[in-house]
Amino acid sequence: MEVTLQMGVSGALMGLVYALIAYGFQLTFATSKSINFGQGELVMLSAFISLTLTNIGLPYWLMVPAGLLCGVVLGLAVERLAVRLALEQKSEGWILMTIIFGLFAFSAAENIWGRDDHPFPTPISSDPLHFFGISVTPVEISVAIGVLSVMGLIELFKRKTLWGKAFDAVAADRDAAELMGISAKRTIMLSYGLSGLVAAMAGILVSPITTVGPTMASALILKAFAVAVVAGLDSGFGVVVVGLFLGALESLASFYIGSGWREAPGLILLILALAMKPSGVFGKVSIRKV
Amino acid sequence: MKKALLATLLLGFSTPLFAADTVKLAITGPFSGGSAPMGVSMRDGAKLAINEINAAGGIVVGGKKLKIDIIERDDEAKNDRGALIGQELASMDDLSGVIGSVNTGVVIAGDKHLQEKGITKIICPAAGSASMTQWADKPEKPGPKDLSIFRFAAHDGIQSAMVVEEAINRKLTKVAVIHDATNYGVSGRDDLLNQIKLQGNKLEVVATEKFNIGDKDMTAQLLKAKTAGAQAILIWGIGPELAAVSNDMDKIGLKIPLIGGWTLSMSNYIDNAGKNGNGTLMPQTFIEEPITPRIKAFINAYHKAYNVDRIPSPVSAAQGYDAVLIFAAAVKQAQSTDTKKIKLALEDLKEPVKGVIATWKHPYSTWNPADEQTHEAFRRENAVMGMVKDGRVVFGNDADRQRLIKQEK
Repeated sequence: MEVTLQMGVSGALMGLVYALIAYGFQLTFATSKSINFGQGELVMLSAFISLTLTNIGLPYWLMVPAGLLCGVVLGLAVERLAVRLALEQKSEGWILMTIIFGLFAFSAAENIWGRDDHPFPTPISSDPLHFFGISVTPVEISVAIGVLSVMGLIELFKRKTLWGKAFDAVAADRDAAELMGISAKRTIMLSYGLSGLVAAMAGILVSPITTVGPTMASALILKAFAVAVVAGLDSGFGVVVVGLFLGALESLASFYIGSGWREAPGLILLILALAMKPSGVFGKVSIRKV
Repeated sequence: MKKALLATLLLGFSTPLFAADTVKLAITGPFSGGSAPMGVSMRDGAKLAINEINAAGGIVVGGKKLKIDIIERDDEAKNDRGALIGQELASMDDLSGVIGSVNTGVVIAGDKHLQEKGITKIICPAAGSASMTQWADKPEKPGPKDLSIFRFAAHDGIQSAMVVEEAINRKLTKVAVIHDATNYGVSGRDDLLNQIKLQGNKLEVVATEKFNIGDKDMTAQLLKAKTAGAQAILIWGIGPELAAVSNDMDKIGLKIPLIGGWTLSMSNYIDNAGKNGNGTLMPQTFIEEPITPRIKAFINAYHKAYNVDRIPSPVSAAQGYDAVLIFAAAVKQAQSTDTKKIKLALEDLKEPVKGVIATWKHPYSTWNPADEQTHEAFRRENAVMGMVKDGRVVFGNDADRQRLIKQEK
């Protein structure tokens, strides 16, 4: 029983990272109906930049906002270089462009920082704490707090501020919003900036656990896709629930079925979701007027 | 210098009528990328030996003292680069030999070109068993009758034997075997299980678990080992994942020995595992502890020449150093810079070579495709158990330390 609980909790905490990355997909999909296929590379680049900032002597609490700022800049760069032109021409070119952007970021990271994995220093202890017979490290708890607070803040921003309202308006109906005087272009920029911020946060939070390397996000990103699709591309609450669930499920599967089967339940879940609720378990059914 | 330049120019025309006045030795390996600590340490160790030989005037061949000329090639641990470098080196007419390579794939892609031209190569400091077994007899295809490839590394067989031996010596009875899902990890697991059988089935394997390259969460595998009551984890994998195992062992409070292949001494294991790496055991061919005057002189020379206080991969540096000494001894015995004559001399080295790892007495013998040990220099007694301690690798057993000190006397 304790083992089951331990596996479930460990997995669920990692699942929150999937949820945060999936949330980054949602942000841009809501406003522009496009997603950044290079989101994993944004996570990785932000982690490397934050590591470099730490190495030149910036204290952790200054490094975090600086790293997040870099994430925002990277997000805006993706929007400007890879997405905007395609959206203006109403083409699907952003799919290829964001993939290219990701590949480019990957090569750049390999050339700048090398192919090695680097440890990511953090003042948060990784000595385990024990609750009810299970061990959790403070680093893992910091992941949970970080993920939930950043998502909470963004949701609050979307609901309580004028810019946030504009965000929702563009998400609901872009043309109508534009007629009301809301700049869809600016709102899309905002969503890419936020999505970059979320990626940077994921990078900073997960790095002490996974170490920093060019390939650090390749496994994460696939799971995040699964979470985003299963939850639906427009429910922030949904990604958290599905993220927790998928993380725990993976971990339990690798324990009870075998470590080679770790990925299987997630994929089955994905197929089931696509077959039974194509718009996601928590997604709204979109009505397309013809 | 001018002559050397001229020789290089003439190389294309291939007229080896004039006697060479240098020994051309190629050093290849990953000098950039993830395997760079091993490649660079090997190169730098080899250069130390070459500089010492050249400073003494060179190798006496036919009454003339010949200096060693280095040709450096970075294979970046990429198989395609390995193939290109193999082709390039094979096309050089006055090349005396090659020392190098870390990665098995690079060796398999490159060495066939060298073998075709009969160019003597010493694989050093690493490369998996397949780098030699590819030349051995197989049911479907007999191996070549004559081989110019030698290996200077502790092969996986020695390593797995030592890992199992260590667990038995510690009076353990239940172990878990954990390995990565690559060829390297799977063959490591088979070697370990085989060794457990060979050494009298004294260990009960209570769990066999695997992980993939890039996995960061090892909790499931380790909890299985824990609930099954394992007293030690025998492991086969590479740096970053091994570090994840150590870190998760600390997390779930699994305080049992971690014993595995020499990859546990890779800097990306030691650095990423931090304090959780302390106590990890792995076979080594050289430990950076100045226990004898000769070893002390080597370590000091390395530190001084490259301005470091820790050799990135001590094993690779020492193997690179000794490989050059053995190669030079073969040149001297052959009294020629001809790579084929050097090969024959290597197979029957008369004089013992005093290296930093050991005094090498007749390390190789004539190639026999039924027994690739004929071209392997390392035996069980050339390896010791190393242990991670505060970011360095030290002797795991004092007995090994005393044995090496006694050997020197």
